[in-house]
Amino acid sequence: MSSDFYTSSILPFSAIIIKICRAYTNTQEDFEDYYQEVCLQIWKTRDNFREQSEWSTWIYRLSLNVCLTLLKKNKNNKQYFASDSLPEEVVEDSHAFADESLNQLYDAIRQLSEIDRAVILLYLEEKTYQEIADIIGTNPNNIGVRIKRIKERLKKLLTQKKILHGKVN
Amino acid sequence: MEKSIESIWKEGFLKNDALVAPKLNNLYNQKSTHIIDKYKRMFKINLIAVVAGSFLFLGVSFILGIPVMGIGFFLILNVIVLVNKKLLPGLQKIDKNVSSYQYLKTFDAWMKENISVNSKMAGYYYPLFFLSFILGFWFSNNSQNLFNEILGYPHEFYLVYGIPVFWTIPVIFITGLLAIFGGRIYNWDLNIVYGRVLKKLEELIADMEELRS
Repeated sequence: MSSDFYTSSILPFSAIIIKICRAYTNTQEDFEDYYQEVCLQIWKTRDNFREQSEWSTWIYRLSLNVCLTLLKKNKNNKQYFASDSLPEEVVEDSHAFADESLNQLYDAIRQLSEIDRAVILLYLEEKTYQEIADIIGTNPNNIGVRIKRIKERLKKLLTQKKILHGKVN
Repeated sequence: MEKSIESIWKEGFLKNDALVAPKLNNLYNQKSTHIIDKYKRMFKINLIAVVAGSFLFLGVSFILGIPVMGIGFFLILNVIVLVNKKLLPGLQKIDKNVSSYQYLKTFDAWMKENISVNSKMAGYYYPLFFLSFILGFWFSNNSQNLFNEILGYPHEFYLVYGIPVFWTIPVIFITGLLAIFGGRIYNWDLNIVYGRVLKKLEELIADMEELRS
């Protein structure tokens, strides 16, 4: 990968990749692997970008597709998906961000199913229902209902952990 | 203090260090963990290993005096490789620049096609492997001695029109069973290796289909 391509076409959008990869990984090591993998896939498939959508939308889509199909190996060489029950020692990335509330929110997001994670991440990134549906490939009519359900689940998870100092909206 | 999920998200990312991109290390050499890339790699390695193994076995079979078995195995293994090699371009063509649903569906479709083709083939190659094995011994240079060694006592073949009937019946029976259950044996074998991955794929797609409905 040329550093020019990375600097001009990926780095300005790295926030998207970081936000998505954090939601699908549990350790810093995994996060860096996923980040690298997404960057590699963007570079490898850059010629497929047809400018039918925004470059950022394309990055959202590709990042999610890569994260949804990534497998990681743990220390015992057993394969598991991001949403599987993880051994305690693997769940260690609870302080990825300086903001404690954000760390707790990510902890809660990681407990959702892969698809729910994708939906809520796109929602939090202020994508419209139509955009979310286009990226994921679903029906926009159901997105609203699903988001409502996910938010309720997140609130419950956050409340359970007593991480919010006040009421969660 | 009231804090919504949305405000936690927005405020959390306002801090400067929240979105520092990790350095890209040795990207070219890094082993990809992506399922599709992993499959491509595994597929290629498997195919090369099977071809190498078939040549090795062919050579060894001549040395051991069981060339029919070696030739049989060699031919069957290389047909399997050829068929699977034809399936590989389908995997390489999977476009990541589509919606997540389409992407997973395309991958799933490729997997299903691959499993279906190999499952059908298994109904032929398991019996053929078995027959090659039996015929290999039958036409070996010292088959009589081998049988005596296996049985632990001298054994005379009872031949009807030159055919060892008592040995042929169980061979036909086992060959038939392998032809009938070859596909199931393949699927059972596949489930041990890829069962979890396939189940997870199914779950992901089912979840998306629920959203689409």
